[in-house]
Amino acid sequence: MIVAAVVVLGVGASSAAGSTRAAQKVSISVASLIPGSTPAAVKQFNAQVAEFEKKNPTIKVKPVEYQWTAPTFAAKLAAGTLPTVFEVPFTDARTLGDNGQLANLTPYFKQLPYHKKYNKAVLAEGTDAKGQVIALPKGAYAQALHYNRALFKQAGLNPSKPPTTWAEIRKDARIITQKTGKPGYVEMAKNDNTAGWILTSVVYSLGGRMEKGTGTHAKATLNNKYTVQALNMLKAMRWTDNSMGSNFDLGWSDINQAFAAGQVGMYISGSDVYTNLVQAYSVNPSIYGLTTVPLAKNKNAGVLGGGTLAAVRPKVNKAQLSAAMKWISFFYESPLVSKTQAIRNAKTLVANHQPVGVPALPLFNKKQYNLANKWIKPYINVPLGHMKPFLNGIFEQKLIPEPEASTQSVYNALNAVVEAVLTNQSTNIGQMLQQANAQAQAAIKAGN
Amino acid sequence: MTLTTAVDQTREPALSSERGLSRSYARPRRTPLNWIRGGGLASLLFLLPLLFVFGAFSWYPIVRTAIMAFQHTNLVEAPTWVGFQNFAAVWHDPLFPVAVKNTAYFALLALIIGYPIPLIAAVLMSEVRKRRGIYAVLAFLPVVIPPVVGVLLWKVFYDASSLGVFNTVLHWVGLGPYPWLQSQQWAMPSLVLYSTWANAGATIIIYLAALIGVNPELYEAASVDGAGVLRKVWHITLPQIRGVLLVTLILQIIGTAQVFLEPYLFTSGGPNNATLTVLLLIYNYAFGNSLGGDYGMATALSLMLAGFLVVFSLVYLRATRTWSTR
Amino acid sequence: MSKPGSGGGLISELEWTKPGTRWRMRTLHALLLVGLVVIGLGPILWLAKSAVTPTLDTISHPMALFPHGAAWSNLSQAWNDVHVGRYFWNTVVIAFGSWAVQIVVATTGGYALSVLRPRYAPIIKGLLLATLFVPAIVLLVPLYIEVVRLPLVHKSLIDSYWALWLPYGASAFNVILVTRFFDNLPREIFEAAEIDGAGPFQLFWRIVLPMSKPILGVVSVFAVLASWKDFLWPFLVLTNQNKQPLSVRLPSIQLQTSVGVFLAAMFIACLVPIAGFLIFQRSFLGGTGLGGAIKG
Repeated sequence: MIVAAVVVLGVGASSAAGSTRAAQKVSISVASLIPGSTPAAVKQFNAQVAEFEKKNPTIKVKPVEYQWTAPTFAAKLAAGTLPTVFEVPFTDARTLGDNGQLANLTPYFKQLPYHKKYNKAVLAEGTDAKGQVIALPKGAYAQALHYNRALFKQAGLNPSKPPTTWAEIRKDARIITQKTGKPGYVEMAKNDNTAGWILTSVVYSLGGRMEKGTGTHAKATLNNKYTVQALNMLKAMRWTDNSMGSNFDLGWSDINQAFAAGQVGMYISGSDVYTNLVQAYSVNPSIYGLTTVPLAKNKNAGVLGGGTLAAVRPKVNKAQLSAAMKWISFFYESPLVSKTQAIRNAKTLVANHQPVGVPALPLFNKKQYNLANKWIKPYINVPLGHMKPFLNGIFEQKLIPEPEASTQSVYNALNAVVEAVLTNQSTNIGQMLQQANAQAQAAIKAGN
Repeated sequence: MTLTTAVDQTREPALSSERGLSRSYARPRRTPLNWIRGGGLASLLFLLPLLFVFGAFSWYPIVRTAIMAFQHTNLVEAPTWVGFQNFAAVWHDPLFPVAVKNTAYFALLALIIGYPIPLIAAVLMSEVRKRRGIYAVLAFLPVVIPPVVGVLLWKVFYDASSLGVFNTVLHWVGLGPYPWLQSQQWAMPSLVLYSTWANAGATIIIYLAALIGVNPELYEAASVDGAGVLRKVWHITLPQIRGVLLVTLILQIIGTAQVFLEPYLFTSGGPNNATLTVLLLIYNYAFGNSLGGDYGMATALSLMLAGFLVVFSLVYLRATRTWSTR
Repeated sequence: MSKPGSGGGLISELEWTKPGTRWRMRTLHALLLVGLVVIGLGPILWLAKSAVTPTLDTISHPMALFPHGAAWSNLSQAWNDVHVGRYFWNTVVIAFGSWAVQIVVATTGGYALSVLRPRYAPIIKGLLLATLFVPAIVLLVPLYIEVVRLPLVHKSLIDSYWALWLPYGASAFNVILVTRFFDNLPREIFEAAEIDGAGPFQLFWRIVLPMSKPILGVVSVFAVLASWKDFLWPFLVLTNQNKQPLSVRLPSIQLQTSVGVFLAAMFIACLVPIAGFLIFQRSFLGGTGLGGAIKG
């Protein structure tokens, strides 16, 4: 019912905007840069705001610093103080959309000239269970295998020939640990849902899935044979080979830090973590290597993708919604389809001492991606040579979105299983998976 | 101070009653004028800042929280009443008993490790004859360190490989390596150790202040009777500061029942929920998975916790009343 | 009262002259001092060292002492690029404001509850105690909704320091501390002043406040520390970054800032509460403040 009402309103808005050319000013607030950006980047951003306002004289844009955290999001959502346009991670967008906590963008989306060029897998992340578009992608990554080239060399392995199967990962990890004393393969196993996130990535690469169906009717399939296989593999590396080191509470930034410190042979994380490795941990570029997560010979095997989306606060009026969409298109989407904006973005990143050319997942189709990369070529400042194994392989890999229903709850249920396997040799995998499945199923049913 | 002694000499000690000042005004009948004359208006005026600040920023939001425990809300639409559904959902959550057990375990460990250490340190420090201030300042410094820095540092200490700081030191005496935060058995004691480090300073300062109040004549009398140091501590020091000990004990229990920061920053409740505490569960309900969808459950569990603590404190106060005021 | 320079009295002067006792106590004290230096000063020294160490050295050899030289630029970057100075000042403003509100609420409230004692005082005391039992984290959303749109006056406190000062003022711990301190002040003084014709206001200003200096020092330290450490609440209500305190700013830039610069900023930030504590330490160590508040 709400759906229908919003759609009607939406259509009404677009026609109204066409007929009444009233000079009424619309004011929207938009998420600006992340905190800690350099003055040069802030200046660039403000220039973009000015340009947008010039193009759309009836819209007033107010930038606000915004950072996604769960508690502040909940508070701001409740108080209605979110910026009109803000950013949401892939993992939360659909759950929020299903809860009615994001505005429906479908009618506006269909008016975008490039709306058919989207990478379908990426667009699916911003589409809720009812098929409404509730967010548009800002950036995306595919899971990748990051490895330390120096440790590979030290262990007598060829850093230009990273492992291409899980058996090879296990073997190389063992060799690295034996020859260098450093953990060969490390996995995020923190209870902040990174443990479940990485396990899901591994299971995808073997051909398994965590759920079937959509919305509250989805069926949890956490205890499938591929999850068992992945956990047994972990168990073997941890307890038989002892090649995973001794710290099993690493989260997203912890593992980046350990890698930059030379304490990690290989690990799985998003293809874009190089940015964080450089900015926060001053990684030595010569040790960095990037390849794809090996996929099993199984037609369902694929790589997990994630990223950030731009969304609009619920309960805004139609004029604001329309203005918000214009901003999303201008600021987030068109840099990928417009040459001048792409180049300007690259320049901003360089000015901000940020890496340019970090492998990302194409938001649009491959043709568009290659074209955009050609535009920014002169500004690329990352060791592309070390990323070749990834860049060569990623387009062959099937991209699979994260579990659709109750993403975080599914990861949350899996956390305990991963932690148990890594910290207790006698863990009963089958029994723990059954529990986790029941927990995830309950959360899905409750719409959490 | 001279004033005190003067008053002491002129008045019977019995007159320094426990009764409040206003009682000493005549209060024959409750008319508004008498109320003002009797100091009622003055009391109210002095209470105004307190009533305003607490009413607006503590009691009112608490009442709203309590109401939310009986509602379901996605924080956008108007909430719906669900009766005791949230409480039932918490009660049937398999993680609920885990969190209760972990919290009780944390409180127990904190009692065993965290309670005596500041007391011992304070008793020793109170006997320092020169530059006692240096000891106190050093003991208080960890309280001042921001948790972000403390955690960063302690993660280095707790590195579970044989190269970790603690494991290296323990290796010198032939112990370890221990898994610290990486094992379900060790994680909670490790958190308690950090928490003791981070909070002991404040407790030490409180004990130091209390120890100064112990009448030295009591010690002298005991010395005359030939009591050794340990016996004096047991028979004089501890009974003399029992009031403070009882207060810090209940405050510590209330504090540890609401432990959040340590598991949140170090382990997020892992490994395998070994450090999932009640407050972390509340946080997870409210913000962890569903972004507000379970706010009702979070508030319901908070009410359950608060209710338990109130009952516990009342029982505690009743049980220790005779002992503490004797 | 113990004499200055002497111990707490546990060990009598006579015992102290015995070589055995003296030697044992001296050893214990030396051990205690070493322990306190390690656990109290150690982390600060580590922070100071890491503040001027290159990022890679800190994360790969956290305990090594300058394996590849020092990086003094961390400090200047923290000051110039991170603008620690500005956030430092915001922190001071927030701490001072919340200190003032807490002092006013705690002294007036404590005075009314302990000295004037209206009939309903026990009810208010009970309500104050009750707030200790509710975890602050669940109040986040209701309190925020309230601050965004204050009931009755319909004003927003977002981006105003009052959104911090006023809620911080609702510290039951402070009020209880001050009330207990007042409880232990000799009643005779009040009665004497009353006989001399002092009303409740004169009593407060002329007698009670001057006598409560020690406890005010204690409350001040707690007030400053609390406002300095809190992160989530100021992060929510201060959206304008130019108004944010260090406790908000530092964590939000952590992912985009190199560890070296971040730790340098942390080090500078730590100087605020350490200085505050050194200023107020006398009222702690004099013992009269807390001692009076927690006795009996």
